[in-house]
Amino acid sequence: MKASPTPMSEPTIPQAGPAETGEKTTPSPVRRLLAVLGLHRAWLAGGAALAFLAAFAAIGLMAVSGWFIAAMALAGVGGVAINYYTPAATIRACAIARSGGRYGERVVTHEATLRALAGLRAWLFRRLIPLAPARLSALRSAELFARLRADIDALEQFYLAVLVPATVALTSVAVALVLCVITLPVAVPLLLLGVVVAGVLLPLWTRRRARRDALQSVSEAAMLRGLLLDALRGHDDLLAWGGVPAHTARIEALAQRLGGRRNRLERLQAVGAGLAGVLAQLTLLAVLVAGVAAVRSGALPPAELAMLALLTLALFEVIGPLPEALAQWHATLGAGARVFELADTPPPFVEPRASAPLPAAPAIAFQGVRLRYAEDAHWALDGIDLTLAAGARLAVVGASGAGKTSLLAALLKLYPVQAGRVLFGGQSLEALQGDALRRHIAVISQHTTLFNLSLRDNLLLAAPEAGSDRIERAVHLAQLDTFVATLPQGYATVLGEAGALVSGGEARRIAIARALLQEAPVLVLDEPTEGLDAHTVGELYAALSAAAGGRTVLLITHRLSALAKLVDEVAVMDAGRIVERVPVAEYLVRERGA
Amino acid sequence: MASPGSAATPPAQPAADWLRRAARQVRRPMRRVGLLTAAQTLALVGQAWLLSGILAEALLRHAPLARLWPQALALLLLAPIRFALSVGARDTAQRAAQRLSDSLRGRLLRCAQALGPQRLRAEASGDLITQLVDGIDAVQAYFARYLPQALGAVLIPVLLLLFVFPADWLSGLILLFTAPLIPLFMTFVGHAAEHASERRYGQLRRLGAAFIEALGGLVTLRLLGAADRFANRLDQESEEYRTLTMQVLRIAFLSALVLEFFAMVSIAMVAVLIGFRLLWGELHLRAGLFVLLLAPELYLPLRALGALRHTRMDALAAAQLLAALDELPAAVAPVRAARLAPATAPEIAIDRVCYVHSGRAAALRECGMVLQARRVTALVGATGAGKSTLLSLLMGFAVPESGSIRIDGVDLTLLDADDWRAHVAWVPQRAHVFEGSVRDNLLLAAPQADVTALERAAERSGLAPVLARLPRGWDTPLGERGLGLSGGELQRLALARALLRERATVWLLDEPTAHLDAASAHAVETLIRSAAASRTVLLVAHRLSAARSADWVAVMSEGRIVEQGPPSGLASTRGAYTELLQAEQT
Repeated sequence: MKASPTPMSEPTIPQAGPAETGEKTTPSPVRRLLAVLGLHRAWLAGGAALAFLAAFAAIGLMAVSGWFIAAMALAGVGGVAINYYTPAATIRACAIARSGGRYGERVVTHEATLRALAGLRAWLFRRLIPLAPARLSALRSAELFARLRADIDALEQFYLAVLVPATVALTSVAVALVLCVITLPVAVPLLLLGVVVAGVLLPLWTRRRARRDALQSVSEAAMLRGLLLDALRGHDDLLAWGGVPAHTARIEALAQRLGGRRNRLERLQAVGAGLAGVLAQLTLLAVLVAGVAAVRSGALPPAELAMLALLTLALFEVIGPLPEALAQWHATLGAGARVFELADTPPPFVEPRASAPLPAAPAIAFQGVRLRYAEDAHWALDGIDLTLAAGARLAVVGASGAGKTSLLAALLKLYPVQAGRVLFGGQSLEALQGDALRRHIAVISQHTTLFNLSLRDNLLLAAPEAGSDRIERAVHLAQLDTFVATLPQGYATVLGEAGALVSGGEARRIAIARALLQEAPVLVLDEPTEGLDAHTVGELYAALSAAAGGRTVLLITHRLSALAKLVDEVAVMDAGRIVERVPVAEYLVRERGA
Repeated sequence: MASPGSAATPPAQPAADWLRRAARQVRRPMRRVGLLTAAQTLALVGQAWLLSGILAEALLRHAPLARLWPQALALLLLAPIRFALSVGARDTAQRAAQRLSDSLRGRLLRCAQALGPQRLRAEASGDLITQLVDGIDAVQAYFARYLPQALGAVLIPVLLLLFVFPADWLSGLILLFTAPLIPLFMTFVGHAAEHASERRYGQLRRLGAAFIEALGGLVTLRLLGAADRFANRLDQESEEYRTLTMQVLRIAFLSALVLEFFAMVSIAMVAVLIGFRLLWGELHLRAGLFVLLLAPELYLPLRALGALRHTRMDALAAAQLLAALDELPAAVAPVRAARLAPATAPEIAIDRVCYVHSGRAAALRECGMVLQARRVTALVGATGAGKSTLLSLLMGFAVPESGSIRIDGVDLTLLDADDWRAHVAWVPQRAHVFEGSVRDNLLLAAPQADVTALERAAERSGLAPVLARLPRGWDTPLGERGLGLSGGELQRLALARALLRERATVWLLDEPTAHLDAASAHAVETLIRSAAASRTVLLVAHRLSAARSADWVAVMSEGRIVEQGPPSGLASTRGAYTELLQAEQT
């Protein structure tokens, strides 16, 4: 079924203009959208050629038919012979060319558009990867989702409803004008006037009138999506607090507003299409007036008047959809602008071209590290000095908000630090590529994201090359054997959206198995037992110590208790600083005493 | 990962029925659309008659402009009339469709909500969203565009034929016999196209779900170094979607091609016959031109309908899912004329409650215990023992399959559920954070709470220091799933929310101290003790230190209460409680 030999186009969208030098030189969304399409130039050229063929044939068909009928009637009245073979053959040729051309044009332009959009989707996702989480945390995933999918889908409009019809209209006008110049030059300005008003001024007017509603309806549709997501995901909270009616009312009010906008837009489109029809009639009338006079004066053979009349009608059939299409302009460009705005967000790090080499057992050092999440935010890390030799096992404890998670964010190169530096294996993080760094660090956290993939594929995310025996060993060490045995299709069982079918303890074990598969020299545990009961924690302990075996361990927790055996030392954190560092035994004695 | 099974099913009858039932609600506006369309067709006929008259006069008699003015003026006047009628028809259809889709969305949302929180969580909500947003949009387009066009496809040809016959019966006959062939042909190719369209819609849903999950788990993917590989997966899914879309479109274009060609052949036939009869002087030019102008108009609505067929197929595919959602049984049937919940702290008796729902979630088997008024009862047990399930039954989110929960002797199912929940302050294990500010999220519990009440709740729950750290304090927007809030912060938010409900007589707390450090947890425990002076408190805990300060402890295992008593008493007997205690201390 996959006929296309190159399914994935190279996902590089030309920036068209000097990149990153300043906001003023950012190319307009229109130019960038054209650039995206430019990657499929060959398809486009073919589409344009076919479109021209179809337009030419359509106009020829109408014009020749009009002339033919009139000429036949005149011949009948005058009793003269007429050669009807040539026009009849022309009509047939035009009919075939028009149908075939239109079919070909549709297939080719759609193919080009869909190819461009499929590439754009993946391109955008790739652009987002380095932005997470540092640059994306302000965006809700519903909003992101709307941007990625709906916006890109909306861009289809730009190509298919604006660009293609506009090209077809332009070629048709050229053909019609040439015919008009040959037969009745007086009518050229009239025809041109009608075309300019219906094909340029009217579309520009609908575009302007639609602007506000079009832009608002795009953002309101995204909001509606978010509200519905809240209504479903937060249903128990809404029920518990009696918020269902209020939330439903919010949804209804928004839907009402959005509906009103859509009604207005539809009305505007109807008006645009209707006015184009009125203009067609007016132009026709004007051409007729000029033509009738010309026929009387003998400047125009009578049969050609019929030709001009039908030509005018054919031409407006092509121009007619433009005002309607241009009403969508701002919605489309709004979507395009949002896509590119998101894609152009500068990533928090400029990655080095090559990653510095790392030792097999890297040590970790924080040197005067300060980190905050926004200009006006407090310092989450406020001068951290901490060293962790290769093979050392350290717990960092502290109240929630003390900055423990930020410590990891800095170490994993997810957020940039504002002062000081972090060394990993003796290398500054700036010299290391984020992906290379993170390959050396396995993370088990309280939030394990499981994907709607099979258990095997979920595990393989950590090590795509791992074979069955390696997977089974990891599963065994993570004590997942019994869980796997209960699954209906074993490793092939699909875990459901957000791992809906997996309990908290099981999810944690899957994370442990992933970490084991990763075979990284450093293990980071971020509240690995949070939300689990004492019994489950006890069971998990063995799996965790298997994961920790022989590695450098950094454990982040607000409560050491059951996990104390995993570490040798404890560092206490408060308000973004390490306030003390003691052997674990000493810490525990003090805690018990308190 | 593709599921091939779903594609094989033909577009089911229920979907078409569902659409038909929905169409009943827009019968009146659609009738108006029909009338406007008919009037517009009459105006078109008038225009064609006038135009053919002008041309015939000018061509045959070389009539001067002066004689043609009245007809030209009439032609001019008809233009705004047609304009008004066409705008009116589209406007009417759009408004009706919009109203209908609004009411459908409301109804389907209620259906989804009636599934109850337990089942709703099991359903993939990204998927439900796709149905509620994109599915409804597809149905909207069907009513706004397809249905009026279908109406026109019947009305316009019939009306036009009524005028063609008197002008030229031979052309009328040709048109009469060829026009019905078009819809016939359309149904012929329709099946193949519908099949492809359904597969495309399924792929669109999969693509949507894959995106939402890739974005939600982007950080995890980065940590695993798997983001690029996941991007490749999205590439494949996008590519698959594109291929399927092209399949659908190819069929659509091909049928459009055939239709167009077919129409053209018919028109050519009419034209040739007219041409020769004109040559032989058997037909007047005006009648010939009139018929020739109308002939394409006769096929136009049929062809336009063909171009819109994907709208119908999208709507059918969406309707199939929406109809299924519509028919899902409600989990909790609302009780009419229900009784009000007691105004003071009630005694809650849980009597041999069974709840064995589908899925892998924990079940309850003959679970029994009593929550005494003005006491703190702690419920402890391993993950999966059924603690959270019991809590959700107490909240009235689901109804016991057997056994009963009695509030001061009255069965919970007889109470007005909303009124009962208005008396409960609830702290779930993981609160949902709604889009909106911190303040909005708290006000959910008490919309009329003032600044002092908010400040007080924040102070007592430990949310105040969190607020101080947030860049915009109370006005800080919270992202979906509380992005930017840590587990502990989220918990404080949930607790503050609960504290705002001051008149609550019952507190149901699911691990309220799970993410808190020792000092904060201690503060919360003190808070709970003081609250118990006038309330019934149930505290689900996995840490026994929280349970130790309770008045009564129940130990749950595999859906049963296996042991209960005062904590001091339980600690001295060798049972499940001491087992848990030991597990915690090692």
